[in-house]
Amino acid sequence: MTTTVTASGLGLRYGGTRALDDVSLRLTPGVTGLLGPNGAGKTTLLRVLATAVPADRGSFTVLGHDPGTSRGRHQVRRSLGYLPQTPGLHPDFSAFEFVDYVAILKELTDRTARHREVRRVLEEVDLGDVRGRRIKKLSGGMRQRVALAAALVGDPGFLVLDEPTVGLDPEQRMRFRELIAGAGEGRTVLLSTHQTEDVAMLCHRVLVMARGRILFAGTPAELTARAAGRVWSSTERAPGAKAGWRTGTGSFRNVGDPPADAELLEPTLEDGYLLTLDDVSAEAAA
Amino acid sequence: MSTSTPDSPQGGGGMTWHVAEDDLRAYVRGELTAPLLWSADTHLAACATCRALLAGVTDPVALDAGWERLDAELDAPRPGWFESLLVRAGIADHTARLLTATPVLRRSWLAAVVFLLLATVGVVHTAGSPTLFLALAPLLPLAGVALSYGPALDPTYEMAVVAPLHGFRLLMIRTLAVLAAGLGLNGLATLALPGYGLRALAWLLPALALTATGLALTPRLGPVLAPSLVGGAWIAVLLAAQAAQERGAGSLAPFTAAGQGVAAAVAALAAGLLFVVRDRFDLFNGSAE
Repeated sequence: MTTTVTASGLGLRYGGTRALDDVSLRLTPGVTGLLGPNGAGKTTLLRVLATAVPADRGSFTVLGHDPGTSRGRHQVRRSLGYLPQTPGLHPDFSAFEFVDYVAILKELTDRTARHREVRRVLEEVDLGDVRGRRIKKLSGGMRQRVALAAALVGDPGFLVLDEPTVGLDPEQRMRFRELIAGAGEGRTVLLSTHQTEDVAMLCHRVLVMARGRILFAGTPAELTARAAGRVWSSTERAPGAKAGWRTGTGSFRNVGDPPADAELLEPTLEDGYLLTLDDVSAEAAA
Repeated sequence: MSTSTPDSPQGGGGMTWHVAEDDLRAYVRGELTAPLLWSADTHLAACATCRALLAGVTDPVALDAGWERLDAELDAPRPGWFESLLVRAGIADHTARLLTATPVLRRSWLAAVVFLLLATVGVVHTAGSPTLFLALAPLLPLAGVALSYGPALDPTYEMAVVAPLHGFRLLMIRTLAVLAAGLGLNGLATLALPGYGLRALAWLLPALALTATGLALTPRLGPVLAPSLVGGAWIAVLLAAQAAQERGAGSLAPFTAAGQGVAAAVAALAAGLLFVVRDRFDLFNGSAE
């Protein structure tokens, strides 16, 4: 599959903190999930790839453009849709006016073409019927869809989404997943999230990040497979488990290194994620 | 653009006017400009007579494009009073929308500035000295410009930074608008102090110097610290000048001819520095993750 985004040796320090540490990656069309705990450097990585913040070290290209130059950065930005972690929306604007404003920022100055594009993206996120409603009167899920519509203006080839499903109820989250899946058809989407279900349902590839480094890059199935043989059931919380919790059936689900006679369970992507983080913590402690 | 001919029998029921043929031709060529364009769009949606005439003056492909545009126009919400005012003043509609999104051009901000200036003018009349007004007036444009761009007050800052529109261009569009509003209000307040003649205009050059310096330092110090430091420096200069005045130095130094010359020089230097660092406004200037 064609590589659309490549990064090599990206590094960035904020004061004494190493926010990005030798990050290299390759993205292909489709949705790639970016998992990691708070402070892992996910938002920093997204900001660097979105050209908001320059890296101290390393380089990257987006759709063949090098943002290291002013001209290249401009080209990357013309190919980019960005939904930040806390997308600010002008509450007194209508959905149409806000997306129109972002379209102007994306240099769509021809009024007719711009309005056509605004209508298209609002329809794409199912907000065509409320396009004239003030943003302050929209629900949280609708506001998030307005922000997604703004990111989709201009049909960008590279879409960067920073935790777009945070704060949404399950129904809204499901609706948003449908939209992200649709957005991932024919374009490269990098989706930062805490929700392993988002990754399991949406992503063809997943990156796991902690302490500014990429710990894992592969398919969701490969991440899940990391926990194969390391998830087991017991009647008590197993003392050697990295994590363990009582399930609805009353038995404990344990993740870690099982005893010899353990009753093994089918691992999930979340198990693989937890073990990946834990293995690195153990290495760091050693 | 309209004619006063009565409505034709075949359509346009209830219409008391029709779009002039020359305007229709300009319309199909895409050369009709707002607000005539909006008027024609709205009228054509309701008037069969003008639509029929329109079909006669254009080719089918251009007509289809025109209908598509009309559809888009009628679908778009009406712009607010401020945006409409800007467009009627000759500002391009996309620039007007950018200005409408400038936080300090909201009614609440402008009302606060007007209130502050009125109070200051009142104090000046009571105290019999313009010093307070001269000290305050340069700070208002500085604060207005500082608050019009950056993560503190612009909710769309992060989206704007990564947009193709050059950050410096957006900054300048907003700065000019805020300066026009701020300096305009200051100017009106100055008119309320006729007894002080040109002395009451001594805020202008310091205002330009403070604003330009605040902007020029923003890429290095950030959008909060830079204007705060510049404002603090201005107050420190005024306090020092007042102390000198109490020792018998005559007028407050910043408002003497020499002081005005220094302000002009600082404004010019800061404007030059701002131009040099213009590309820095293309990058995020806020806290990390």
